[in-house]
Amino acid sequence: MFGAFRPTNALSGGLLWKIPWRLSKFQKARQRKRLRAVDSVVATLDKALAKQSITTKAVERWKGEMPVEQEMVPKDKYTIFDRKEKKYRKSIRSEHPPELVGARNYTDWVLELPKWTRVSQRINPPGY
Amino acid sequence: MSYFRITLLRSGIGLTKRTQGVLKALGLRHRMTTVFYPVTPEVAGQIMRVKELVSVEEVEKPLTKAEVKAERTPEPGFYLEKAAPR
Repeated sequence: MFGAFRPTNALSGGLLWKIPWRLSKFQKARQRKRLRAVDSVVATLDKALAKQSITTKAVERWKGEMPVEQEMVPKDKYTIFDRKEKKYRKSIRSEHPPELVGARNYTDWVLELPKWTRVSQRINPPGY
Repeated sequence: MSYFRITLLRSGIGLTKRTQGVLKALGLRHRMTTVFYPVTPEVAGQIMRVKELVSVEEVEKPLTKAEVKAERTPEPGFYLEKAAPR
């Protein structure tokens, strides 16, 4: 259990790839850029449909529910809710250890929000 | 009549079948593909499904494939001189 030869991930698997969960200022900047890109797509759709006085459920729902990038607090941009976490928040790119999620390879850490740069994750439980 | 000019910027690899199916339905097979569709609620709904992957503009007229290619082709950097008339 303890001592020089304790079975850590790195020792038993050999190679261990882990990426730091904390986002750098550049990663945060790109995250904001992606959020704004989605906002601009929705704005374009809304403008084009409004010209022909059409309303679409998907666009209306998004506008009603989702804040735009400028309205979001930093907490919502870079972290996600996790009920098991000490302060109920985790970095948006944190990973599950392989033994917890039953990954094939012992060295594969699995993202908690897979494909996080290509999915929208804007709102979290109220109060958290 | 205006059109949506939709360009696939990010690939749909690894996303759900549903998302990939929408890309296929829109004719976006590769990144940087550009397609044109009339502004209708149906197309708007499809774009909403893949909004994280595409960039959208509203244009008056759809361009042909050749015109899109011409837009992207840079200047050749040279020109051919014509023979001077004698």
